[in-house]
Amino acid sequence: MSVAPSGGEWTTVGPQGATARAASWLRHSLPTLLVTVFALVAWELIIRLGHVSTYIVPAPTAIAQALAANADDLWHAAFVTAREVFIGFVLSLVVGVALALVIVRFRWFGRAVYPLIVFFQTVPKVALAPIFILWFGYDLAPKVLLILVIAFFPITLNMLAGLEAVERGFVALMRSVGATENEILFRVRLPHALPQLMAGVKIAITFCVIGAIVGEFAGASAGLGYVIQFASTQLETPLVFAALIVVSLVGVGFYYVSELLERLIVPWAPEFDGTDRS
Amino acid sequence: MSALAATLPVRHAAAHLGTRDLAIAYTVRGRQQTVLQGVDLDIARGAFVSLIGASGCGKSTLLKVFAGLIQPTAGTVEVAGVSPQEAVRKRLVGLVFQDANLLPWKTALGNAAFLLEIADKSLGRKAVRERAAEMLELVGLRGAADKLPRQLSGGMQQRVAIARALTLDPEILLMDEPFGALDAITREEMSHSLLEIWERTKKTIVLVTHSINEAVLLSTEVHVMGLRPARIVETLRVELPQPRGAESFRDPRFGALEAQLRHLLLESHAHRRIAR
Repeated sequence: MSVAPSGGEWTTVGPQGATARAASWLRHSLPTLLVTVFALVAWELIIRLGHVSTYIVPAPTAIAQALAANADDLWHAAFVTAREVFIGFVLSLVVGVALALVIVRFRWFGRAVYPLIVFFQTVPKVALAPIFILWFGYDLAPKVLLILVIAFFPITLNMLAGLEAVERGFVALMRSVGATENEILFRVRLPHALPQLMAGVKIAITFCVIGAIVGEFAGASAGLGYVIQFASTQLETPLVFAALIVVSLVGVGFYYVSELLERLIVPWAPEFDGTDRS
Repeated sequence: MSALAATLPVRHAAAHLGTRDLAIAYTVRGRQQTVLQGVDLDIARGAFVSLIGASGCGKSTLLKVFAGLIQPTAGTVEVAGVSPQEAVRKRLVGLVFQDANLLPWKTALGNAAFLLEIADKSLGRKAVRERAAEMLELVGLRGAADKLPRQLSGGMQQRVAIARALTLDPEILLMDEPFGALDAITREEMSHSLLEIWERTKKTIVLVTHSINEAVLLSTEVHVMGLRPARIVETLRVELPQPRGAESFRDPRFGALEAQLRHLLLESHAHRRIAR
């Protein structure tokens, strides 16, 4: 490329070595790293110089100590919460997808049920947590159920949008060769909806973590939500913050698993276009 | 459809598809709106017929009637000696739209084979794929069988759509502005390919188009459609020598036909403005 201007953006075009990639990663992440370090140092200084009590706002170092001191308990709690999230998520996925399929396949059912689903969505689900505890006890079941009622909706909604997004022209083509409604649904609409479904999954997975924590707040004997509540009644604020960090890590972990799933399930989606149009 | 209209015979027995006194009307907010009226059309076997006219003249509607997607309000339609629905069921009709309508997760070959797979489950997967591969080759996509739609240009995607229609081995190809979304050069390339396909397969082709140039180059017969009510106002026979190609543009009759078509279209357009 003889006309490439020197020093411009064009110079970064082309194959890069491992070191070049690392340098590029650093360039992208450096601002975030710097801001984070600055914020932590400022936080630490304000707490120390302002003599703020550690049970009101703990310094980053105090949180780190709490993390290290309670590593075993936090690990166990994270496992309990992650299990609730996982089971709740799988259930939401199955129910959410099945509901969308039935709504699209049997229009009369869709017309009957859709307003009810929307109405149900206006109920603040958090308020259901105590009732689920009352009905199903302190173990896994009420948390999974709470996750389900929170998380199935974005899955159903996105799946529905994806199923409906098939071009009319294609449906006409399918009908013209005598395709059955089931063939149109399973061979065209369903695969067509997968990228949209994955968008819904990514929203739902963060809802699942919220559902698990709220469920544990309402009544539990284990889990990160339980640790947070227990520690705050004991004024062990550093442990509360430590548990919050672990909750975030669980959430981020699930989110990345869902992104990985997306790459595996819909490699043909345009977002992951690795090849140029030629 | 009235009982009387249904008994009217199609005039020419040789016609491959045609309509007799066809009318299409929709009811929009309680008001009857006539889209097509008094359409008599005979399309001979092996003909390449273009329907041309301003937007809203009902040319796509007419094509949809042939495809069995719209029921006539009055009059009769025959496709290959039977009703459009029957013709479609017997796979006598292949459809190509402006949008290629490819499945993004299937390769060019998978897309070309897809409709036949659905249509005829008695055929083995291998036989279907072989036929689809042959058709991809016919439309000039020999090397692109394993590519996904997003790896293909707009013109190539449309070629896959044509291959998919041909894989069904229909007698009649109905094309609704198949090159409408393509750039001028690609469009011209596609026209030449379509001529070649038509000459090699001997299918009857009905093409809806906006392009005067395309209509003259490709067709044996051009039906100019007018407005209010939409109907066929003029039929031109295009007697340029076959096979056609780039040299057809140099034929003096080409320019004359173009001018004549342009005049007819502008005239019907002017009528529309007055009617408003």
